[in-house]
Amino acid sequence: MTNSGQNNNSIDLNQFNQVFFEECAEHLAGMEQILVSLADAGPDEEQLNAIFRAAHSIKGGAGIFGFQDMTVVTHVLESLLDRMRNHEIPFSTAMVDLFLEAGDVISMQLAGHRDGAEVHQDAIDLIRCKLQQVIDSGAVAASIAAVDSERASSDEAVTCLDSNDSVAACYRYELEFTPDPDIFKRGIRLESLFAELEELGKLTVTAELQSPADFSTLDPEICSSCWHLSLETTASEADIRDVFEFVADVDQLKLLQVANHPAAVANVPESNRLDLPCETDGDAVETAVGRRIYDKNELAPGAYGRRTVEADSSIRVGVTKVDQLINQVGELVITQLMLAQTAAGLDPVLHEGLHRSLLQLERNTRDLQQSVMSIRLVPISIVFSRFPRMVRELASKLGKQVELKMVGDSTELDKGLIEKISDPLTHLVRNCMDHALEKPAVRVAAGKEPGGTITLRASQTGGRIVIDVIDDGAGLNREKILDKAAERGIPACESMSDEEVWQLIFAPGFSTAEAVTDISGRGVGMDVVLQNVQSLSGKVSIVSEPGQGTRVTISLPLTLAILDGLSVAVGDEKFIIPLSSIIESLQPSTGSLKSVNGKKVVHVRGDYIPVIPLYELFNLPALVTEPEKGILILIDVDGEKAALLVDALLDEHQVVIKSIETNYRKVDGTAGATILGDGRVALILDVNSLLQMQKKKLSL
Amino acid sequence: MQTGQGLTDRNGTSTPAEYLTFTLGKEEYGIDILKVQEIRGYDVVTHIANAPEFIKGVVNLRGVIVPIVDMRIKFKVGVPTYNEFTVVIIMNVLGRVIGMVVDGVSDVVALGPEQIKPAPEMGTALDTGYITGLGTLNDQMLILVDIEKLMSSEEMQVMDQAN
Repeated sequence: MTNSGQNNNSIDLNQFNQVFFEECAEHLAGMEQILVSLADAGPDEEQLNAIFRAAHSIKGGAGIFGFQDMTVVTHVLESLLDRMRNHEIPFSTAMVDLFLEAGDVISMQLAGHRDGAEVHQDAIDLIRCKLQQVIDSGAVAASIAAVDSERASSDEAVTCLDSNDSVAACYRYELEFTPDPDIFKRGIRLESLFAELEELGKLTVTAELQSPADFSTLDPEICSSCWHLSLETTASEADIRDVFEFVADVDQLKLLQVANHPAAVANVPESNRLDLPCETDGDAVETAVGRRIYDKNELAPGAYGRRTVEADSSIRVGVTKVDQLINQVGELVITQLMLAQTAAGLDPVLHEGLHRSLLQLERNTRDLQQSVMSIRLVPISIVFSRFPRMVRELASKLGKQVELKMVGDSTELDKGLIEKISDPLTHLVRNCMDHALEKPAVRVAAGKEPGGTITLRASQTGGRIVIDVIDDGAGLNREKILDKAAERGIPACESMSDEEVWQLIFAPGFSTAEAVTDISGRGVGMDVVLQNVQSLSGKVSIVSEPGQGTRVTISLPLTLAILDGLSVAVGDEKFIIPLSSIIESLQPSTGSLKSVNGKKVVHVRGDYIPVIPLYELFNLPALVTEPEKGILILIDVDGEKAALLVDALLDEHQVVIKSIETNYRKVDGTAGATILGDGRVALILDVNSLLQMQKKKLSL
Repeated sequence: MQTGQGLTDRNGTSTPAEYLTFTLGKEEYGIDILKVQEIRGYDVVTHIANAPEFIKGVVNLRGVIVPIVDMRIKFKVGVPTYNEFTVVIIMNVLGRVIGMVVDGVSDVVALGPEQIKPAPEMGTALDTGYITGLGTLNDQMLILVDIEKLMSSEEMQVMDQAN
């Protein structure tokens, strides 16, 4: 189990970018699917909400990963959708095209970030402009015509630029600047350098880390990045070189003049070179009237939405397929055990070859099982480590001081859970930042530290994965929520308990924020949180104390997690006890057993610990009913200790947790079941609920 | 089982439906063959704590954990013995897989609607509510059971009741 976690000690940002790209592509595909399926009647509430959520999630993700250009488009798109949700802008079929086009632009930006494909700034500006027009005019019909004419003129402008070089006194330069590593020590500030460049014309800057950075050894005083600058200017090459006069040696600055936009020939990455004839062909531009300029490229390997490099990428496989694989491997292991048992009865001398092959088979099946199981488990740090940057950026944006604490980030959970939990967690953290935590001045006035704290805590308790998002902010405002609910027409009344009131914030479109910002306030967040968590058959609960803060707890079932367990025998039955809850096991001496009110307790190193005889709790015929003849297993449940009495300890296993509830009902005291090596089913004990059962039994 | 032959057709009322017949004590029962996944022998079960006596426990059916219900105990017919002749009918009921121990599996028969008569108010180990009708086949009476209704009922305690 631990080996899968060790690879993640150093943070490789690209790894997370990949997750974002995949998620984003999924959201886009989802959005497109809904849009395409829309009838003339327009989307219903649910579909509109779904499109909105997709846009919102892309924006959120893009924000975290610092793809600011993507948030810009999605923000406008989101604003429009929000108006539509509130019935401020009526739907029209032309909007579908508009939205699809917006989706294409976002795909293009995505491809730009992912594969380094070319991004057309004019297309981005155009779609923004179109969307904004619809928002401003309140209807799509009037604006489309205007937009179309504008598009025509922009196309014209492009062709015109293409055909007439003399207009292009404005040149585009591609600069690659690799500064001295000790440039910072020389007191040179790159920001001011770039600001100077910006005075010459339109500048875009991207930084590239030269070596995959190991953040633990990163020295912030050493500049290890390489800067790609793209400058549109009327200035000459010499002017640009002047700016770098005292900063860069000749070999540190590569300067390339690009003919003109949009035919940024030199900028096209290797993978796209195949399409160059088409790109430079003036006729192609002519025939492509009415189509967006980048459409020509859509069959190219690196065109928007399609990836060029398959190496190092991951394959997304349905969870059911992996489950099936795990089941089948489990069966294989059982078959192998049966073979081994049969072979054990054969003469080792006569059947030496058979025995050798069986050993080989055993090794292979074990390896296979391990690899299959490791497919599914990932530490939650994959999700958590997205947040420090997001919190930092949001904090500076909002003018708040925030400290992020992360506890239990090595908790391993199912890949399926990880993927689905990242969106809700992002929304929750954003909510904390924007709504819950107060500005430093407000906090000081309330007698708190100026800096707020957000704690993310993951743990596995009682057969469930529990993730807490805790802030020490203002807490939920009961009055405000009730007012807002009344305003929104959500049934609510004064007499509701706090818990019921907190549940109201999960209603779609619910927000108490006064202003809609691009961080939150549209009321889509909690709706997404609840939907995603419920789709994992999990629960969300809120505890909030005015002035003290809020704790949102997401509790997820262990759909298919793997557990280290100890198998024990009680009578004829075998049970698995999770190793994580076991402190120790011991054979008690008669002297250490005492009785309190007729109930046995065991005296271990100064503590009196109640004994829970499993056979009694489960009504089983046991071989051992006297604690001194059996074995006591000390367990710890949230600081509370108990000693389980069992007949014998059997073995230590790594087991796949299977749900009993799939085909049966919930069984008290168990967290699920597993299949042992001999093909039999063993129940996995849930120590938490065992303790509850015992207490209930004693109170009767 | 997958051939659509001879099944209840929504329009054609005359199409006979096929039933798997089994015995419980001296009575002959029938269930819709489409609900039956397979028939297997009785295996070692894992006892479930604090479950009613007729729920024998759970078994591993190719990686799926399946509860086993002994109808002989539930309806107090026959003698619950477990040997190599004990039969378990594995069924797919309401998306769940459930095993049912019976005295013996006899046959698969096709019954037309004219062969099925409504059940009288008494006379079987089963509550009449779970009986869809009585079938007649060569002087033999078949009690046709609505297995979905039976298995999802409160008294079987196999499924969690809503709320």
